[in-house]
Amino acid sequence: MNKRILAVCLTLPLSLPAFAGDPEAGQRKSQPCVACHGPDGNSTSAEFPKLAGQHYDYLVKAINDYKAGGRKSPIMAPMVEKLTVRDIEDLAAYYSSRKGLVLKY
Amino acid sequence: MKTCRLISLAAACNLAAVAFSPAFAAEAGDPVAGKAKTSMCIGCHGIGGYRTAFPEVYSVPKLGGQHATYIVKALQEYKSGNRSHPSMRAIAAGLSDKDMADLGAYYAADSARTAAK
Repeated sequence: MNKRILAVCLTLPLSLPAFAGDPEAGQRKSQPCVACHGPDGNSTSAEFPKLAGQHYDYLVKAINDYKAGGRKSPIMAPMVEKLTVRDIEDLAAYYSSRKGLVLKY
Repeated sequence: MKTCRLISLAAACNLAAVAFSPAFAAEAGDPVAGKAKTSMCIGCHGIGGYRTAFPEVYSVPKLGGQHATYIVKALQEYKSGNRSHPSMRAIAAGLSDKDMADLGAYYAADSARTAAK
């Protein structure tokens, strides 16, 4: 019995998808983002961050932080206010699939 | 009259832009000096696929190629508490404006020491 529970516990993380989110739906939903972040997330204005190539889960976290107030931005707060969990995942899937930011060490 | 109002609005915007932009753009960063200041960054930001452990688990952001101005802005927000993150706040608290500018210049600059992941 205990072994069976252990087996379930060990295999559960493997069965979870690496990420959810549909990049094509994300692209459609990204129209309000384009003015500041650029058409593919490579913003040309230095005031606004590049999103292209950023990690999927970091993008989700950042948007959620703007939503919850952990990050305070008068620009981003109203932009993310009405986004659903699905919207956030789609947007993150889109921007993380673009070529842009890189790991630098 | 309407044109007048538009012109004064535009003038006000320009003044505002001039007044606020130096806050982030005043220091010119030196990428070489910035490289020497990354010892506190590389343990998390320099490891491919590195993830935070607690209380939330997520990949630490890629910084390579990000705008220097934005990196400085983010560091200032961690320092001021406008972005809540315990370890980034502690690290940013110890950085001067010059340190931030140097780090921004380093991460923004194209470099051979970058990887696609």
